[in-house]
Amino acid sequence: MELTPELRKGFFRTMTLSRAFDDAMIALYWEGKLPIFQFGAGPLPGELHCSNGAEPVGAGVCAALGPDDMITADHRPHHVAVARGVDLDRMAAELLGKKAGLSQGKGGHMHIYDPAVNFASSGIIAEGMGPAAGMALARRLQKRPGVAVAFIGEGAANQGAFHEVLNMVGLWKLPVITVVQDNEWGVSTAKSESTAIERNADRAVAYGIAGEWVGTNDPDDIYLAAARAVARARAGEGGTILEVKTARLAGHFMGDQQAYIPEQMKQVDPIPVYREKLLREGVLTPEEADAIEAEAKARMAKAMAFAKEAPYPDPSEAFHHVFAGEAA
Amino acid sequence: MTTEVRIPEDMWDEDDKTGSIVHWLYKDGSTVKEGDLIAEVLVEKVTLELTAPASGTLRIRVEPEVVVNKGDVVAVIE
Amino acid sequence: MSRILTMSRAGREALDWEMERRPEIFCMGEDVYKFGGIFGTMDGFGAKYGPERVISTPISETGFIGMAAGAAMAGMHPVIDLAYIDFIGVCYNVLLNTASKTHYMSGGAVKVPMTLLIGTGGGYNNAAQHSQCLHATVAHIPGAKVVYPSNAYDAKGMLHTALRDENFVIFLTHKGTAGVGWMGTPIKTTLSEVPEEPYTVPFGKVKVYREGTDVTITGLGMSVHESLKAADELEKEGISAEVVDLRSLVPLDRDGIMASVAKTGRLIVTDEDYLSYGVSGEVIATVTERDPTVFKKPPVRVTTPDIPIPFSRPLEQAILPLAGRIADAARKLMA
Repeated sequence: MELTPELRKGFFRTMTLSRAFDDAMIALYWEGKLPIFQFGAGPLPGELHCSNGAEPVGAGVCAALGPDDMITADHRPHHVAVARGVDLDRMAAELLGKKAGLSQGKGGHMHIYDPAVNFASSGIIAEGMGPAAGMALARRLQKRPGVAVAFIGEGAANQGAFHEVLNMVGLWKLPVITVVQDNEWGVSTAKSESTAIERNADRAVAYGIAGEWVGTNDPDDIYLAAARAVARARAGEGGTILEVKTARLAGHFMGDQQAYIPEQMKQVDPIPVYREKLLREGVLTPEEADAIEAEAKARMAKAMAFAKEAPYPDPSEAFHHVFAGEAA
Repeated sequence: MTTEVRIPEDMWDEDDKTGSIVHWLYKDGSTVKEGDLIAEVLVEKVTLELTAPASGTLRIRVEPEVVVNKGDVVAVIE
Repeated sequence: MSRILTMSRAGREALDWEMERRPEIFCMGEDVYKFGGIFGTMDGFGAKYGPERVISTPISETGFIGMAAGAAMAGMHPVIDLAYIDFIGVCYNVLLNTASKTHYMSGGAVKVPMTLLIGTGGGYNNAAQHSQCLHATVAHIPGAKVVYPSNAYDAKGMLHTALRDENFVIFLTHKGTAGVGWMGTPIKTTLSEVPEEPYTVPFGKVKVYREGTDVTITGLGMSVHESLKAADELEKEGISAEVVDLRSLVPLDRDGIMASVAKTGRLIVTDEDYLSYGVSGEVIATVTERDPTVFKKPPVRVTTPDIPIPFSRPLEQAILPLAGRIADAARKLMA
């Protein structure tokens, strides 16, 4: 549970790679969609919910997990997926709808599945909570280790699933960590307009589980809180609501003009802040930081090249995978 | 040798309640083994199980949906 | 060795056999541990398998069915008792967006093998929120298999099949056919000789309950038994009805439906679900798309109309697809 320099460099590396992923996707998103916007046009069709600003949460929490642990993410999954080590090439290919994608082009950016690292996501708000708790239950029945983590937004804490699942997590002392990523906005609805109390972490008391609140969008603090939650879960002490005050810098989805955000609520980009912190504390030199950034861009360029070059699935494949055990 | 199949005295608690056979699991004349579940008995909304007290040929004496009391002979096993 | 069993007892036998041998199967639902599930499918399982594998839940369908989906993704095979299909409203998202779609959306990388046991139907005066069939509402979702046995033999064989399927299977039982005590004395035609040994009944095959030459009557769940009663009546009048139990909605045996109608040339579709946008239209469309010339007369639907199920006995009896209405429809078709 110690913040070693290696660990902190790793946070910076992970956040930078995640940002490179989103920036590359944002750049590609508008291709074919300008000057006349068409949702389905261009190499990256559909909605795109980028993680810019939330990278510290993915980096900090995932660093506290081991290979046996399981994750469900939501409609904004990229920063968690990158931090978890989801196959970057195949994730990029999935966003572009390619056969080489993680889901052979059947999922797209909200539905990222990589069983190799126990990662799943769902585009329905709070819909990852039940499955995360069920994965933890499965491991208990299988007598295998594993903590499950559901990443949700602050808006999802007002869904019925949040209440139902956390009650059972508390009741059965399941090793489930619910990471509430409070980016202050549910599309255009501010947290103060949707949520009766200031901190969702305070709701933990209602379920007999632990609550952790991190008010900084800093991977150091997030990691330490996550590590405490993981330690409790592994010790059989049950679940945690871990709420982190984070940021949403690229809007709800691509094209969100965010005119509803008042000047005083403008959010800060956590990555340059963390870079400065590591430089100031002597963990990184400017040269090392630059090298990490260049390396991330290069890695992402490789992933994007893989994705772009990969062929599309044959239209006939639309009929495959409706059921397991049939034509593959 | 024949064994009577009775509705056991302890099948349900209240003596004033009656039941009825829901259905026989074997047809008349079937071979049954001691301990086999041979009929379901319904008392109000509760289904209870009647098992064979002996092995042999089942001779059904009481058809389903007829009122039965504790102790009634509902079949014999030959 | 066969015994004559109720559907409830037959289904229980299949689940028990599979649970004894496969540690990945576990049961979950409200009141399953002490109560054995609403239809007794898990009767006695609490004592036999313990609270770890027979998990009584809070009244939280969104939560525990969501958990079941997650457990299935992580290698288990949950068997969920949802009691009444009227309750799908409080967990529909899991059915609609997770259990049925994860395999597809993951390109086959993630399987969700789970069996959802649900009771359907009315006829016992429980009013509009506890009497619905709604099978079309679940059969409409791609990625969910939906089966609906109407007798004990099929209940056991199809539950074995469901438990060995790698997919999300919605296993429906009409409450009135289950043969559990609180529903009253079982309907004779639901009882069948059931072998003690395990066996499977494949999904996607109709069962011709009774052969006939004049008119095909298709049914599902309880309406199979009403159709059989109608067929008995019709026989006395010299009308030979063929009663076809669809018994599996997804997959649907369109060939089996077609074969029967091609033989009789007349079709009555019975369905206790609502009339519009449902199975009855689907069955007729199946034949019409393939060869409308097989119809000697336009097909007829005998279903619950598009109204909430009324409580009062005379009101409810008037709107259900009971034998009298089915026989009348057949007489008109033969006139």
